Amino acid sequence: MFSIIQTTLKGVFRDRVFQGIMALAVFFLFIPSAASLSMRQVTELSITLSLSLISILLFILALFLGATTIWKDIERRYTFSVLSLPLSRTTYLVGKFFGIALFMLLTALFLGTVSILVIKFSSVLYPPSRPILWSTIIVSIFFDALKYIIIVAVAMLLATVSTSFFLPIFGAISTFLAGTITQQVYEYLQSQSAQKAVSDVVRNAAKLFYYILPNLSGFDLKVHAIYSIPLNSSGLLLTIIYFFVYTGILLAIGSILFERREMK
Amino acid sequence: MSGLFWRPMFLLLVCLIGYVAVLGPFTSYMKHKPVEEKLGYVPSADLLRYSCADYKEVVGAALLMKVTMYFGGLMDKQADNIVSEKPDYLSMSNIIHSALKLDPYNMDGYYFAQSFLVWDVKKYVIANKLLDYGMKYRTWDWYLPFFAGFNNAFFLKDFNKAAEYYKRAGELSGDPLYLSLASRYMQKSGQTDLAIVYLSILENGEKNPAVKKKYQFRLAAFKEVRRIELARDRYKEKKGVLPASLDTLVLSGFLAPPPSDPYGGQFYIEADGKVVTTSMFSFTEAGNSKNKVGETDERH
Repeated sequence: MFSIIQTTLKGVFRDRVFQGIMALAVFFLFIPSAASLSMRQVTELSITLSLSLISILLFILALFLGATTIWKDIERRYTFSVLSLPLSRTTYLVGKFFGIALFMLLTALFLGTVSILVIKFSSVLYPPSRPILWSTIIVSIFFDALKYIIIVAVAMLLATVSTSFFLPIFGAISTFLAGTITQQVYEYLQSQSAQKAVSDVVRNAAKLFYYILPNLSGFDLKVHAIYSIPLNSSGLLLTIIYFFVYTGILLAIGSILFERREMK
Repeated sequence: MSGLFWRPMFLLLVCLIGYVAVLGPFTSYMKHKPVEEKLGYVPSADLLRYSCADYKEVVGAALLMKVTMYFGGLMDKQADNIVSEKPDYLSMSNIIHSALKLDPYNMDGYYFAQSFLVWDVKKYVIANKLLDYGMKYRTWDWYLPFFAGFNNAFFLKDFNKAAEYYKRAGELSGDPLYLSLASRYMQKSGQTDLAIVYLSILENGEKNPAVKKKYQFRLAAFKEVRRIELARDRYKEKKGVLPASLDTLVLSGFLAPPPSDPYGGQFYIEADGKVVTTSMFSFTEAGNSKNKVGETDERH
């Protein structure tokens, strides 16, 4: 297992993914000047821009690493040599997942450090009206990384059954978009106006999707980080438990499907 | 061999010349695009909220940036007297409302909406509704009740409500100034002084050059009004009656130098002694102050 994690990480670094991220991280340098265009909330805007930039970089990483790793291994016929070793396909899949998840966390750590420097710089130039809660910013970046690790798991699950990378990539994008709004849709369906407007069948179908799809809005703590709004610690704990359980389910299904897959 | 090298070189050269040639006209075309095209169409806030995934805050900030940049560009033109193009306030207001639905905490939105909704468009009720909406989220922010208090007192003449908002602003900021403003708003007199205080506070904290300039113009106009009011009071004290017109004040030496409206309008004194200007403290009004009948003014 550890050797798989290690080779996955090495592979990702060998593909110069990290250098790519470093190149994109140049955008962080423009954040203070872009944020200074704000009239009343320069620091808040620089937090918004930093967190959104981290978020989009992690999203792109999750998509491509999650969707292409297994596909590429199969395409290059690495899987044959790896799976001829005395290890199960499950170990291979889970090892791959942990390797990518670790890389995502490392990237979040790197980007988080850069963004904290950027935010600090902005806040010195334009002191914010409310003190910045640094811990909330760090927690928000960490939960963002967890969210995209779920997307990695979704992409890998789809990759176990797909022969190309289209299904994993587009499936993961759709899951991400749907996962961020399920909570809003669910709340709308609970409202009085929806009781009349939406039929029972649609409402039940939507509820089913609400429980099946990952609820990603729980991982979005940007508002708390930007406007220094206190976090709900028991809610965060529940979110972490949700993360582990949900990712576990995805990996388990992925492993079952991968074990049964025919590889020629 | 040389052909293989020269052909792409030739192509590159032709394209580079073409690029330089088209760059000038293209830039000027983009610069002179009609206003509606520049401000663009923004889908409904609900649609945006569902489609922005977890990038709501950044999309909200981008929308606000679009509006302030558009407005800043127009302000520069107005200040240079290039054009008297009226800003598309309706679209501006719609975009700000959408942005604030995406991120109800964004202070730039409330602040900017307040700066044009009340003075330029006279939509006091809409402005106050927006401020009330913001107060639900920005529970720590004294600016929002401060704005709402000012709107209620200065424009809507609802002094009880104004006092309530000022009390809240005072409690949140811990500054006794707002509490004293609350009590001063109970009296109808001294409105000009209060507007000067309000505008000075905003002007001091402003760093966006376009908006700052806007406040400076308005502040200068109100200071002129105050100067005329003081001269009018001195006149009345001496002569026992209100001056018949502004010229009376100037000719009798009570008001020197003669007042000038930075917006290009004309000051005059109404029969009850109130000092007003044809510009209504706005560039766009200065141009069409003659045909002001039928304007939608929510003041009541």
